[in-house]
Amino acid sequence: MDIKREDILHLADLSNFSLSEAEVETLSKDLSEIVKYISQLDELDVEGVEPTYQVFEMENVWREDIVLEQDASREELLSLSREVVDNQIKVPRVL
Amino acid sequence: MKFLPTIGIECHVQLATKTKLFSEVDNDARGKEPNACVSPVCFALPGMLPRLNGEAVRLAILAGRAMNCEINPVSRFDRKHYFYPDSPKGYQITQFYQPIIGEGYVLLSNGTRIRVEHAHLEGDAGKLTHFNDYSLVDLNRVDTPLLEIVSQPDIHSARDAHDYAKELWRLMTFAGVSLGDLYNGNMRFDVNISLAPEGSSELGTRAEIKNLNSFRSVFRAVEYEIKRQTKILEAGEKVVQETRGWSDAEGKTLAQRSKEEAKDYRYMPEPDLPPLRLSAEFIAEESAKLPLMPADYREKFKDVISNDILEVLLDYKELMEKLDEIDNKYIKPISNLFSSVLLAEEKSAEYLSSLPSAKDLMKLAEMNASKELSSTATKEVFLRLFDPQMKGRGTEQIAKELGLIQENDLGALEAIVDVVLKKPETQKAQADFKAGEEKVIGFLVGQVMKESKGKANPSAVQEILRKKLV
Repeated sequence: MDIKREDILHLADLSNFSLSEAEVETLSKDLSEIVKYISQLDELDVEGVEPTYQVFEMENVWREDIVLEQDASREELLSLSREVVDNQIKVPRVL
Repeated sequence: MKFLPTIGIECHVQLATKTKLFSEVDNDARGKEPNACVSPVCFALPGMLPRLNGEAVRLAILAGRAMNCEINPVSRFDRKHYFYPDSPKGYQITQFYQPIIGEGYVLLSNGTRIRVEHAHLEGDAGKLTHFNDYSLVDLNRVDTPLLEIVSQPDIHSARDAHDYAKELWRLMTFAGVSLGDLYNGNMRFDVNISLAPEGSSELGTRAEIKNLNSFRSVFRAVEYEIKRQTKILEAGEKVVQETRGWSDAEGKTLAQRSKEEAKDYRYMPEPDLPPLRLSAEFIAEESAKLPLMPADYREKFKDVISNDILEVLLDYKELMEKLDEIDNKYIKPISNLFSSVLLAEEKSAEYLSSLPSAKDLMKLAEMNASKELSSTATKEVFLRLFDPQMKGRGTEQIAKELGLIQENDLGALEAIVDVVLKKPETQKAQADFKAGEEKVIGFLVGQVMKESKGKANPSAVQEILRKKLV
């Protein structure tokens, strides 16, 4: 499968990346190679094989509903943001 | 041409767990500062792993059973990717491919059956507040457990859309799954609506109205959309498939800026959460915890409480539980007191938060039935049963203190009547009555009531007077 320029721009848009022209070029080539490599799997006959969603064979991993002290406080978490106003994270206007 | 509306509703219900869906942080942000209920998982710090709250699984099972749904033995989580500052993860953890709740139905009070397609667990997003040139992000709501309930397009009127939304609210609150506080966004409704010519086998193009947060706005938005789309179709134009918002103040739906291209959420299995495989025993054990549902109360009380009154009372779960403790013979008078005295008052919500005991209520009904309390006095004592100053004293004590117990002892009443009949000021009335002037009996009864300080039973008094004045 060939990854076109528009595909890269679409993916970049979805991921909120801005790419230079050169990067678009390289990424199209690299991604095409990666997809080609992965596509070898298409040769396998998986008729009747259950899809694997995870490989650890764990199930029903859940916890009790009890409030516990967290590893980082609100202050520590908020301090990671560029700007805080009234205990809220300030971001460019979105709508 | 007549157009028939077809409506499907998606409802997001916030589950009343103590902690969030994916970390052990407080899920109750009411009255707290922004970002007071946050954890490294909510902030999506690199390397943080979600830790599933088992209580959300249990509540989902209860919610599913409340809607007569299949509980799927195997379900799992997926990532739904999108970029928005209300979601630090860059994706929402949801159940896209294998939801926990399968098909079921909700029965409306008018008998209409609305099928539920499925319901799934997911984490809520944060809250944004927009200002002129920036926005503020509060992550208190991030990862609050949500159950998204998706109906089949079985709804065909604004009334049924309203009733479905309300019935879902009752089911979720009766089941104890959600606090059901609509004002604070505990339940939000997205309504899909399209119109097609009557008899047509194809559905029309639909509009989606997002984020309605009251039953009334569901009703009004559907009503408005039916009118708007009818007008477009009648003019021979086409309805645009789009997302619309509802303006309560303007009473209309408004087109929201829509993305040009179709959304691409790139769903993928959530690798950090193993699938759920629920045993039949576990599902049965949890399902057994479902308390009485509105449908059970309708069946139970159908011969005792009139349909209109029952539908009003069914908005109050605690009240229904209380009625369930009352002897069958007193259910009718007590439910009438609630509907005519209490629910007519502005204070109903405040009153209903602390109901009188079943014993006090039954004693009240009994005293009314034996005519110890007149109907006016019964209502008065009823309201006092909610009074924090008086409620501990018991029905009889309150009635006595207020001097409301009626004199039913015929001997005692006769003595009072005799006193009144000897008074000079009643002589003319007595003569008039004997001469055939029927209505003066009222005056005489009034005199006796006065003499008894209001405690006499007026119908008994009248009976005695009539016997004496022949």
